[in-house]
Amino acid sequence: MRGNFTNTGKLVKFILRRERIISTVWILIIVLFSMVLAPGINTMFPDIETRNNFAATLENPIMIAMMGPVYGVGDYTAGAMYSGMMLLWIMMTAGIMNIFLVVRHTRADEEKGRAEVVRSLPTGRLANLNAAIISAVIINAVMAVLLGLGLAATGVESMDLGGSMLYGVLTGLAGLVFAAVAALFSQLSSYKGGATGLSFLTLGVFYMVRAAGDAQMPINNALSCISPLGLAQRSEVYVQNYIYPVFILIAIIAVIIIIAFKLNSIRDIDQGFIPAKPGRKEAKKSLLSSFGLSVRLLKTSIIVWFIVMFALGASYGSILGEIDEFVGDSPEYLTVIGIPEEIVEKMTDADKKEIISKYFGVFITSMMTLVGLIPVIIAAMKPRNEEKDNRAEHILARGISRTKYLFGYVLIAYISSIIMQCATAVGLYLSASSVAGEAGIPESFMLGSLLKSYLSYLPAMWVILGFTILVIGLLPKASGMIWGYYGFVCFMSFIGGFPDLLPAWVAKISPMSYIAKVPLDDINFTNLALLTGLAAVLTALGFFHYRKRDLVYH
Amino acid sequence: MGNFMLETKDLTKRFGKFTALDKVNLQVKEGEVFGFIGPNGAGKTTTIRCLLGILQATEGSASVFGLDAWKDAVEIHKRIAYVPGDVNLWANLTGGEVIDLFVSLRQKSDKEKREKLIKKFELDPSKKCRTYSKGNRQKVALVAAFASDADLYILDEPTSGLDPLMEQVFQECVGEKKKEGKSIFLSSHILLEVEKLCDRVGIIREGSVAQTGTLDELRFLTRINMNIETREAITGLEAVSGVSGIEKTVKGIAFQVENEQIPEVVTFISKFGVTRLESKPPALEELFMKHYSNENVSTTSATGGE
Ligand SMILES: Nc1ncnc2c1ncn2[C@@H]1O[C@H](COP(=O)(O)OP(=O)(O)O)[C@@H](O)[C@H]1O
Ligand SMILES: [Mg+2]
Repeated sequence: MRGNFTNTGKLVKFILRRERIISTVWILIIVLFSMVLAPGINTMFPDIETRNNFAATLENPIMIAMMGPVYGVGDYTAGAMYSGMMLLWIMMTAGIMNIFLVVRHTRADEEKGRAEVVRSLPTGRLANLNAAIISAVIINAVMAVLLGLGLAATGVESMDLGGSMLYGVLTGLAGLVFAAVAALFSQLSSYKGGATGLSFLTLGVFYMVRAAGDAQMPINNALSCISPLGLAQRSEVYVQNYIYPVFILIAIIAVIIIIAFKLNSIRDIDQGFIPAKPGRKEAKKSLLSSFGLSVRLLKTSIIVWFIVMFALGASYGSILGEIDEFVGDSPEYLTVIGIPEEIVEKMTDADKKEIISKYFGVFITSMMTLVGLIPVIIAAMKPRNEEKDNRAEHILARGISRTKYLFGYVLIAYISSIIMQCATAVGLYLSASSVAGEAGIPESFMLGSLLKSYLSYLPAMWVILGFTILVIGLLPKASGMIWGYYGFVCFMSFIGGFPDLLPAWVAKISPMSYIAKVPLDDINFTNLALLTGLAAVLTALGFFHYRKRDLVYH
Repeated sequence: MGNFMLETKDLTKRFGKFTALDKVNLQVKEGEVFGFIGPNGAGKTTTIRCLLGILQATEGSASVFGLDAWKDAVEIHKRIAYVPGDVNLWANLTGGEVIDLFVSLRQKSDKEKREKLIKKFELDPSKKCRTYSKGNRQKVALVAAFASDADLYILDEPTSGLDPLMEQVFQECVGEKKKEGKSIFLSSHILLEVEKLCDRVGIIREGSVAQTGTLDELRFLTRINMNIETREAITGLEAVSGVSGIEKTVKGIAFQVENEQIPEVVTFISKFGVTRLESKPPALEELFMKHYSNENVSTTSATGGE
């Protein structure tokens, strides 16, 4: 057996060398982000009373399903609040990091033929997997220690060194659970996308299992603990600091890794256990056109984003009932969601909830529109990526005109903008009305008014879409700059609550700034018509230039 | 325009300051298999992309079926089958799906033909394209092209990823199309392939067409490298016609000889007591370098512009 691991050490060094940038960036982001947020909680909830109030709003099944059980109620310290709200997400982030990390050095390497080169050198059969796992252990250990020390160093009163180290260790172990899962699926699946996809599916299932357990009344701890994520949360970091989940997690990791090794030792290189299932020998009729192909290529992305938008809408809808408490009295928060100072000053307890929910709704609408733009831009960028990857020419050299080819993708992009806005609005409405009851939701959260405000953002989305098409037609090599413009639009929307930060004309470059804040203001039909017209002109110009230019292959 | 299937007149293509094609003149007649040969980076793919209206000529013109390659691209494509040099496919689609898609974009697909070709090329059409090697991706494009009923087949280095057995299959397919009276424009940097298949060849070097003609007319292409060792030192070989590039090696001499002159040369050298004889066709690059570096010595009768 020993010879199987020959030269693992050298491979570990090699992997860590290849990882020196990517993994460092991941760790820095995880640690710094965690450190920045810790004092933030203390500022937003400075005294025990506000924290206890907030804990009360967290203690409803929907919030618990989303974030996990609330520990330490009664004496709800900043630490308790921090671990309750953050640990789950940071563990999942670490999981994502590890899935990419391990697949990159196992299945992806094999797919690219790099592993073969390595194995033909004097290395053991299992050395590559072994090296990938040892590297993952090292990387997660570094992250765990830095995270623990970093959190302790923030000096937040209730976040002591012991609890912080436990927080870090749990994050590292959760990371390793998914490193092991990815190692396992890298044996089972015969290609990179399969290994990554199945690992992400496992991540999702672990999240859902603990949500299913946590959402019950009383909480079904046994069910939740089947998920390593739920188990880790039972440590009650900064409250009880139980150690037992650490040992169970280590055991789980060990078992998965042993199975992965076993599978690795009995399979051939390049093979998987899940047979690449044979696909269709012949195409369905629906594929047999340029448009059919576009639909096929974008279908998955649109369905996934539809679900994402619906789920995001639903999760915002679920906190609507406690919206005023969620937002609290923090003036910064009120400013972020766009409530002008004069109104904050005049706000009485009686109309507070209504005002906040209206402004919050408007704020969420613009945020969700920005998220919904992502799949729209992806769809519009698709023909450019097809061109770059040398695949557009298959279609364009077969009697399909440039106009027809581009039109297919553009049409899908326009339609998906409508789909995304509707998905969010319906998700929001369904969850808001099921939490608060049809009668309990404010007027502005009725389906009709939600659709009205979400759809009123369409012309702004279309301008960005039109701009994308223009750039593809006119400056194909620079088409990546669309994402830069998108970033700018996002930035302008985020700082919208602070109009004094930038000169007024800068904000005007973002089409989002021309959309009236429904239901606070009436729909501005003139602006909508102008934006739609602009979008149409940009789109037409894009087509015009696309027809006139060479295909560009890089 | 005459009745050429395909014609370029002073076709020039610049990418920024870089001139990829410089006044390329080509003519392909109906029913002809035309070999377009040149080393890597010579401009073969660029020429083909201009002919397909994927790139627009900077100067000069390119026409297919007498139609303008850029303006009438869609019309032209309806009668063309094209296999790109670098075949990239969609990871998530199977080979069979891609073949059906490709064929049906032009016409109704002929199932029988498709099945026959898939079998001939030994392709598994149920596999996702992500699992295909370069050769298999090329097979997908070839099956789609040969399953189509086109008037002109434009093939850009179609065998660069195929193994010798499949090259054979490819040559058979080209032969069949030729019998049907179709025209074929085949770019390649493998001389042997062109020699076997083509009626006429055009040679492109660094963006300009050096020569076009039949293989007979371009006799230097069919030269062969010989490497011999003899008991007695050879003298007077340079006087034998068809011999060129004589060089001394460690134990003997190396030279090139034109195919038709081989009998004379062998008779001549046998007088010196041959102890070792080695012959092989030279690589295209080598051939070109030797040929064009002493242009003035060459005696080929060739048409086409320089
Ligand atoms: N889009 C482009 N931009 C700049 N240079 C290009 C472009 N396409 C091709 N070239 C250059 O033109 C020359 C001819 O390329 P190509 O036609 O692909 O050659 P071949 O197919 O004969 O190998 C090469 O030097 C290549 O680098
Ligand atoms: Mg080429």
